[in-house]
Amino acid sequence: MFEMCEIDKSYDAVVACRGASLQVAPGEIRALLGSNGSGKSTMVKVLAGTVKPNGGNILIDGEPVTIHSGLDCRRLGIATAFQDLSLIPTMTVRDNILLGNEPKGRLGMVDRKKSLREVAALLDRFHIDCDPDAYVQTLMPSLQSMIEVAKAVYLKPRLLLLDEVTAALHRDEVQLIFEVLRQLKAQGTAIIYVTHRMDEIFEICDTATIMRSGETVADVSISDATLNGIVFHMTGQRPDAQDILETEEFDREGSDLVLDVEHMALYPKVRDISLKAYKGEIVGIGGLEGQGQPEFIRALLGVTRPEEGTIHYMRKEVRFHSPADAVNHDIGFISGERNREAIFPDRSVAQNLFAGRAAKGALFRYLTTKVVRDFAQAAVEKYNIVVGSLRHPASSLSGGNQQKLVVARWIAVNPTLLLLDDPTKGVDILSRREIHKILKQCADEGMTIILSSSENDELLEIADRVYLFYEGRVSGTLSGATKTPERLVAAMMGMTREQNGATREARRA
Amino acid sequence: MSNAKRLFLHFRRTPAFVGFTLFVFVLVLNIVVQGPTHFFSSRSLNTLFSKNMPLLLTTMAMAPLLISGTLDISIGIQLALVNVVSIMVFQEWGVSLYVGFSMGMLASLAVSALCWALVSVVRLPSMLASFALIYVVRGVNVLIMNKPQGKVPEAYYKTYDSLIGGVIPFSALILLFVLLIWLYLMRTKFGRNIYAVGGSPRNAFAAGINPVWVQFQASMIKGVITGLAGISLTLMTASGNPLQGEAYGLRALSACIIGGLGFGGWGSMACAVFGAGFLVTIQNTVYYFFNLLYRIIPGFTVTSYWQNLVSDIIIFFGLLMTIVTAKEQREALRQGFVKQFKGGESATQ
Repeated sequence: MFEMCEIDKSYDAVVACRGASLQVAPGEIRALLGSNGSGKSTMVKVLAGTVKPNGGNILIDGEPVTIHSGLDCRRLGIATAFQDLSLIPTMTVRDNILLGNEPKGRLGMVDRKKSLREVAALLDRFHIDCDPDAYVQTLMPSLQSMIEVAKAVYLKPRLLLLDEVTAALHRDEVQLIFEVLRQLKAQGTAIIYVTHRMDEIFEICDTATIMRSGETVADVSISDATLNGIVFHMTGQRPDAQDILETEEFDREGSDLVLDVEHMALYPKVRDISLKAYKGEIVGIGGLEGQGQPEFIRALLGVTRPEEGTIHYMRKEVRFHSPADAVNHDIGFISGERNREAIFPDRSVAQNLFAGRAAKGALFRYLTTKVVRDFAQAAVEKYNIVVGSLRHPASSLSGGNQQKLVVARWIAVNPTLLLLDDPTKGVDILSRREIHKILKQCADEGMTIILSSSENDELLEIADRVYLFYEGRVSGTLSGATKTPERLVAAMMGMTREQNGATREARRA
Repeated sequence: MSNAKRLFLHFRRTPAFVGFTLFVFVLVLNIVVQGPTHFFSSRSLNTLFSKNMPLLLTTMAMAPLLISGTLDISIGIQLALVNVVSIMVFQEWGVSLYVGFSMGMLASLAVSALCWALVSVVRLPSMLASFALIYVVRGVNVLIMNKPQGKVPEAYYKTYDSLIGGVIPFSALILLFVLLIWLYLMRTKFGRNIYAVGGSPRNAFAAGINPVWVQFQASMIKGVITGLAGISLTLMTASGNPLQGEAYGLRALSACIIGGLGFGGWGSMACAVFGAGFLVTIQNTVYYFFNLLYRIIPGFTVTSYWQNLVSDIIIFFGLLMTIVTAKEQREALRQGFVKQFKGGESATQ
């Protein structure tokens, strides 16, 4: 019996887990479910020894244990298959599987024959068809995921943690993994299974622990659970898959089409996305984390090049070579990753504000400090950013004000199309509200805004229309009367009307 | 597919392939320019080995560091440290030169441990830390020996320059010794761990490996090989000089890169050997090429700087070639991804 009791974990000010608990018995496959930021990944990381909790206990058969490293995990019989893979890309498949667990031979050397045999048997068990001496980095992602699972199973663990391992897999590959999981279950292995694919839970899991906002909210048996019930626990909303528009042609007569994306694909994350944005509209992009939203935005911006599909911008087909190219076409981009993609922390507030403007125009045009300062002063007054002095470095501002700074930078150059990737991530409620106000005002003035957000409330509040992404496709479009929390949740989970009905029937049978 | 062909295809995918190709190319060139009979004479082979053993060993010392994800450019001046300690212990204490060599080896291990502590424990960037170490070690060298001096007894350097059985250069034995030890290590757990740590310290840690400890082991191996390089240098020059050898550090690093070693978990000892072999052979080739020119064109004389220019340009193209092939590999990989995913797409639809 493995138990996690009252686990607390916070990263700086953000609370990931608040008294969360989880238990799993030998021979049980337990689903660990939760929406964005529910803390389920943190729970997995705590158990895998990569994150140290602030409080709480981990018990194995009633005995408290400490897990500080991968070594502790191995000793306790816990093996993890990570979502972002723990394979070493520059090593071969065989070396990866055996890593830290090599069969011993003579003179302290690795028993080559035995290792060849065991890896061959393991690959065979998972029906993985690849050269054991191939370097992992040369294999396609789905194969790497399979090997990640095989590697964890090779350790013959008492507790197997699977963290969204099926995200990159095809249905038949998932079935192969399920087959192995059933064997392990029969042998008495405890399994914790994290996924966002609801159909998989009903197929393979016995029980489910559901988390929301860092707390454990429900502990259910799959045999008497319904899909709607589970989604209710995850989101606090009853899902309703009625009237979700699905890739239906949305055409607004009379208004200007600013952006028209058709069947964009950028494998593996973006598979088939079509999206339209009209003048003066705020288009929301929602969904669970990792469904292709950031990749889509960056492909629009020209950071990466889409492999398929067309982009029409202002009724002309375009293909931006770089963000600079996109900016020259009056497109602005605001990233939620302030520190990585937006702020120049050591530069002054004024220079930060001017950066969007500086990206345009002649390269060697002479700039006086006055030009920069006046421009910044106007922006600060207009967007109500609290600054001590325009000369202070941007790093002296609070997170919320930094984000407002970035928003103001782009608004001030008045782009035709503004792309935002989760702009209010980790921003306090007051600044968030002000950013919303600014965006609405800009949309009223005719700017087109595409806003990707991990917060459902934000999308419902300010977006005119919401596209929901699920596994790199649009799983639903909401607007007007259909823009309800229930439908948003259903589309976010990839539930369509038919699927919802089918699962319900399956439950009844 | 025949066995030989499969082996070749497998070898083509290994990181050592580019270095091997470059090395063989220059080697053939060298043999042609110098003339086969002259090149394969034991005297010329012996000179080639004994003169270049310090560089070869320094490069091989760098390899375990690069594989484990660190590096040390002060490795060149460390040769001088070994040299200085060996000579001074021998000269001042009146003990056997073997004791001097042992002390030199210990000094090399101590500097390696210091570099490891700075890079792996204190986590300073390895380039900066080892660059600073160059000045520290140079200072220590001058403290120990304030001006070039000392003499190695004739018996020692005669042995170093000798041919075993009249065929095999003695210095080649040192190379063989290091290679055998390394081959053994690569078949132990350590051989897997060092690649795991270099490839991804985080994932190696998750697999129950202690990256800091593995990097320490790699540093100690580097220390031993550096010690041997320093001893070779001492036997080759037969005297002590506190300020020699500094250029070996960067040359060893570039030899590693030409040979196909990457920064962290990519490449092998073979890469280091081929890379160093390439550098050594190219200089040899250019030297004989100019000799040929002197003979063919009457009255043709240039300074030796021209030789350096020509060999450096060829080395530059060698470096360029490693970058080009790496890019090709990446591109092939990317196209493989796209193909696989599109295939998968149509299969599910």
